[in-house]
Amino acid sequence: MTHELVNGLSSAEAEQVLGLGTRMIVPSGTSLFQLGDPADRLFLVERGRIRLTLPMRVRGQDQDVFVEERGPGQAVGWSALIPPYRFTLTATAVVHDAGVITLPREALLKYFSANPAAGHRIALNLAVIVGHRLQLFQTMWLREMQRTVEVRSA
Amino acid sequence: MEMLLMGLCVAVFGAGVAAAAFGAATRSESPKSAVQPGLPLVKAATAPRFFSDTIATSPAISTQQVPIEVLLLQIENHVRMEQAAAESFLAFPSHAQLHSKTNSPFVN
Repeated sequence: MTHELVNGLSSAEAEQVLGLGTRMIVPSGTSLFQLGDPADRLFLVERGRIRLTLPMRVRGQDQDVFVEERGPGQAVGWSALIPPYRFTLTATAVVHDAGVITLPREALLKYFSANPAAGHRIALNLAVIVGHRLQLFQTMWLREMQRTVEVRSA
Repeated sequence: MEMLLMGLCVAVFGAGVAAAAFGAATRSESPKSAVQPGLPLVKAATAPRFFSDTIATSPAISTQQVPIEVLLLQIENHVRMEQAAAESFLAFPSHAQLHSKTNSPFVN
């Protein structure tokens, strides 16, 4: 399986990066992290689905509302590499138990210092992931605003 | 005595004429107010609906009646559909893609 975070690295470099982490099982229905938690590690999904949610006030109560779903090969929790290092979503395994690789920030930063070229490549991959999320939600935001404008000007 | 009776008759007749004139004047004012230009416009703006007052419900009220699990599922489906639309836009950015109408029942 190719992980998007190590895309473009040699197989030896990818193995080194993945070797920095530990594999863990997230039982279905269990949170990987909660909104506001300190983000000191990011996760690479190996199997299963991770559901990302945000709390929305629905009928006076906080309800977890679906934002996005991440699957095998995708990274979750890149807040671990971006200040202020707090998770901005809640991540939960859904449907089946999920398998993830946990990569501590400190270990990654040490590796980047020792291997600048690989670190640069991973930083670019991270930019692709973050940029895609930004573009996606920018587009969704505009479409929602467009609908609001149409309703108000009707 | 005859003069008194005649005067009484004239007075009663006069009162009757005054009452008839007052009644006629009052009747003539009512139709005038009914044909004021504003009222027909107000009536025309309301579409004719049978029993509309008893069965009409606002979207907010009908949303309240949906079980919360169903509502959350509707939101999730809406988000998924909008993400798909946004992905299509990002693959081939254009004004038409950006402003394409959604089929999501949540907002339709």
